[in-house]
Amino acid sequence: MNGMTIGVIAVAVVLIVDVVLLLGLVTMKTVNRRRAQSYKLRRAGYVATLSRRLASSAAADPIEARAAADDAFLDAVIDLRNIVTGHEIETLAGIVDGLGLARRQEARLRSRFPLGRRLRAAVSLAEIGDETTATVLIEHLSDREPEIRIQCARGLGRIQHTAAIDAILERFDVEEPWVRARFADTMVGFGAKATWPLVAYIRVNLRPRDNEGVVEAIRVLGVIGDREVGPTLSGVLRVASDPEVRIAAIEALGVVGGPLAIKPLKATFRSTDWRLRAKSATSLAQIGDPSVNSLLARGLEDANWWVRRNSAAALAALPGGADLLLDAVGSDDLFARDAAGEALADCGALAGAREREEAGLTNAEDRVLLAHMTGQVLA
Amino acid sequence: MREIKRVLVADDSDTVTTVLVTALELEGYEVETAVNGLEAYEKGLTGDYDLVILDQLMPGLLGLEVIDRWREEGCQISTIMLSGVDDDRTVVGSFESGAVDFIRKPFRIPELLARVRQRVQG
Repeated sequence: MNGMTIGVIAVAVVLIVDVVLLLGLVTMKTVNRRRAQSYKLRRAGYVATLSRRLASSAAADPIEARAAADDAFLDAVIDLRNIVTGHEIETLAGIVDGLGLARRQEARLRSRFPLGRRLRAAVSLAEIGDETTATVLIEHLSDREPEIRIQCARGLGRIQHTAAIDAILERFDVEEPWVRARFADTMVGFGAKATWPLVAYIRVNLRPRDNEGVVEAIRVLGVIGDREVGPTLSGVLRVASDPEVRIAAIEALGVVGGPLAIKPLKATFRSTDWRLRAKSATSLAQIGDPSVNSLLARGLEDANWWVRRNSAAALAALPGGADLLLDAVGSDDLFARDAAGEALADCGALAGAREREEAGLTNAEDRVLLAHMTGQVLA
Repeated sequence: MREIKRVLVADDSDTVTTVLVTALELEGYEVETAVNGLEAYEKGLTGDYDLVILDQLMPGLLGLEVIDRWREEGCQISTIMLSGVDDDRTVVGSFESGAVDFIRKPFRIPELLARVRQRVQG
């Protein structure tokens, strides 16, 4: 066999392999397209059947038992659950129960693989699960797959399974940040029911450092906004040394508010850590008590830009605070003047002064503000 | 006067459309569908409907825009707005645009049918 023959054979082999691969690819694409079309048709059929069942109790179209094994049926049920409410949800729950849909998904979730199926089972249970599925969802809060853990927490939140609160909280310390954040969303969904478990968690787990779970728990308390936790957060500020924990507590206190929150926030406003001072200014503004105005006015002269900015913004939001900002605009401190001017511009005071200027109605304060903003020096 | 009342259902979700069409047909209505705002607008101009159930968030034209365009064309169609967004702007905007009713998603089918009956017969 000479070299040319070998070359021809090699080219022929390559061509044959290419053709086989191309045919394989075309076949796969055709099969997938047909599968997708079939799925779409089945799903539409199931939606129609279920719709008749929901619209009229007399329309008792039979739902075949094999539908329970069909993902198209499961998706149709999930879609409908998000569209209808009231008695219709009970009807759907009855169908789910009758066909053993949840049990089937539980079995899939408990299987070792494939991941796609397990994940789909977790998502489905998060949507159609009820109290009877809580046990399996709690079991899989420690699943090896993060997305499955997230879906299980979501499902427990949706069914408001209060007993799951502690189980979810236990994961706060060990989870990766993005998973913990999703768990925190679930905790927020529990509302006031989660308040005291969160407080207990914070008390038990607060350490000198590495407090990621505690910080998340404090943030959740802030979002839930239950005023009962004010003393707990104040206590955290007194004993915690971790600045991340203290910042989270300051932010939460601003939301939870109440007169008891002012004293600890005034103390942190005097902290040597500028981050605490800046956050405290914002939280004091959120509480809305003008008794802190003079303290915040001192923040305009702070060495840190963020503290000056947040103090000025806080004063702009508090009753009577704008007067102090106008005083600062006329002061000798350049930094205080800039912070106050910016806040007055943001809150609309500058626009008001300009309107009065155009109408020929400026007062002394307007003139000071306008002069500062245009860089003029008043005589 | 027609015996059978005609209803146009305009929603970009297949599932919502199927639920509404099924429920309305079981009640004896003749139902047509539109899958986007533009199709709803065009069908509304030519379709002689007794009622339109119009989703707010649709591709092409928003539900409120569809009503506004009908009004500009002098086309008065009794319209029920359907939306998952129920902030003041959407609800008040719907009535100000001339919608006769507003239904929030998720909805109860018997309640929706009762509202449709009231608007079609009233």
